[in-house]
Amino acid sequence: MFKVFGFVTKNNNLTHDEYRAGHVGYHNSFGRRLNNIRGYTLNVRSNQNITKDYKKSSLVKEISFNEPNEFDNQWNGYGQLMFDKFEDYITAKQPALDKAGPNGLELDDMVAKVGDDFEHLYSGSPFQFNVNETIIKPVMRPERKLFKVTQFVKKNEVLSEILFNSYLKGAYSESLSKMDGLQGLIINQRTSLDVMTNFFNPESECFSKAGVQRRERFYENWDIIIEYWFSNSDYFFSSRFNKNLLSFTKKFEEKYLKSSFYREVDETVAVIPKRDIPTDYYFR
Amino acid sequence: MFKVFAFLKRNTELLSHDEYRAGHVGYHCCNSRRLKNIRGYLVNIWANETLKKKMGSTYDSISYNEPEGFLDLWDGFPEVYFDSRHDWISAATPEPNRATKNGLSIDDSWSLADGPFLFDRVKKNSDQFKSNHLRVIEKEIIPVIRPENKITKIIQFFEINDEFKQNNTKKDDIETFINLIKNIEGLHGLTLNFQDHDINSAVKDFYPKDAWCFSEEGKKERQIFFNLWDGATEIYVNKYENFAKGILNLQECNEFKTLQEKLFKSIWYVEVDENLIVLPNREPLPNFYYR
Repeated sequence: MFKVFGFVTKNNNLTHDEYRAGHVGYHNSFGRRLNNIRGYTLNVRSNQNITKDYKKSSLVKEISFNEPNEFDNQWNGYGQLMFDKFEDYITAKQPALDKAGPNGLELDDMVAKVGDDFEHLYSGSPFQFNVNETIIKPVMRPERKLFKVTQFVKKNEVLSEILFNSYLKGAYSESLSKMDGLQGLIINQRTSLDVMTNFFNPESECFSKAGVQRRERFYENWDIIIEYWFSNSDYFFSSRFNKNLLSFTKKFEEKYLKSSFYREVDETVAVIPKRDIPTDYYFR
Repeated sequence: MFKVFAFLKRNTELLSHDEYRAGHVGYHCCNSRRLKNIRGYLVNIWANETLKKKMGSTYDSISYNEPEGFLDLWDGFPEVYFDSRHDWISAATPEPNRATKNGLSIDDSWSLADGPFLFDRVKKNSDQFKSNHLRVIEKEIIPVIRPENKITKIIQFFEINDEFKQNNTKKDDIETFINLIKNIEGLHGLTLNFQDHDINSAVKDFYPKDAWCFSEEGKKERQIFFNLWDGATEIYVNKYENFAKGILNLQECNEFKTLQEKLFKSIWYVEVDENLIVLPNREPLPNFYYR
């Protein structure tokens, strides 16, 4: 699928929890109506610090290295948009014919503006980029909140891209996919494809010199996001720190990764991703 | 959880079934997914191809006494989940969830005023529409788990034989019957729902006292609809073929057939397209805004 991530920083007028309400509430309500959208999730940085607030948090520190300073000041959440193809993504922000009115179905302009709340919800433009995803374990969502963990990873520069990919998606991923309580595992590699031109207004902050610098600083310390969905936090702490797994993954990480660090996020499923053939009628 | 089904017929003067889909799942849900304290929200719309058409004559072997024109009575039914009746009846209370220049604010544009254009209007130019809201009492037989693709969802409607209607011990027999459905391969969930005996349990204190549902006409029409069935089982399967094969196999199972004939005056099946608006969360509510 064609998948785009957008990392956002909250507006200074909002607390982190107010930003949640504004993003999950009003903003997602419009985003889920984007034309031809096939999946839309929002991941808000958890109020719990995975390296401090859990009984076994110290373990997470043991497997984290080269975490950038003040990383969390640069984002409060990230959305994931899924489309069948690039053309669908770039044309998604158009009025949607999905509002019943006195003359039947009407076009709603507010979908084209995604609720028109950007300047009040965010601070600057989203850091928006395309990812090349690899599904290691398809996500299965039960009817309860899952414990979702994201691992930010940067590859060791001395290793070629091709070799790194084959190692990452080989035994390393395979071993992680066997963790108890795991409900899904996806690797997302940031690509250099331009997904901002023609999606954001030309005067947006992301096209300014300062905007480019801000984005590049954020990208500096990671190029891959690995997403893990667990039934609950206990499974994460017990299975990720299983002695055998830990010893294997540590060797891999020390050798092939330049940095690796973790965050917990609260996932909102605004449009449950659908990876099969699209229907010939409106469906979310 | 406090769970409500709302059977809704589209405004046939303005919309086709497919246009109704867009209006309901698109704009309408854009507003209703922000109902205060909502814990789950699905919109089930009957599939464009009926099971009778898909299964051909074999459909008649799995159903009997299906009410004629049942699908003419509704186009879709949302199901909403709340923690309590109190949360349900106060769900329309505005709460701040829109970022504005003044910080987080109540969204002044929030509205369900599209209802009379989307749904079956009470009368021409009325601002009310007909709604068959009903509380259901659910039993999770197999907890639902959703993959990242369109899941096949079949609703099994049934009317219980008169002699068993008030007999709670027969509910165990019904559960035994529903448990046999577990034999269908590829199941992703199985939920049994019984109607609340009080047809006003979902509308009382939710709609104003002068709403259509409390009028003589409304009470009569709603009662007629709810008399058609007593329960609805939500069957989630990975693919249609597994449902068809499994349900036909069950017709060969003596226990299933015997219980079916003993317990039900009528039984029939409707395939629906489930739109997920808010993924049901059956765990305690987090202490922050969450959908």
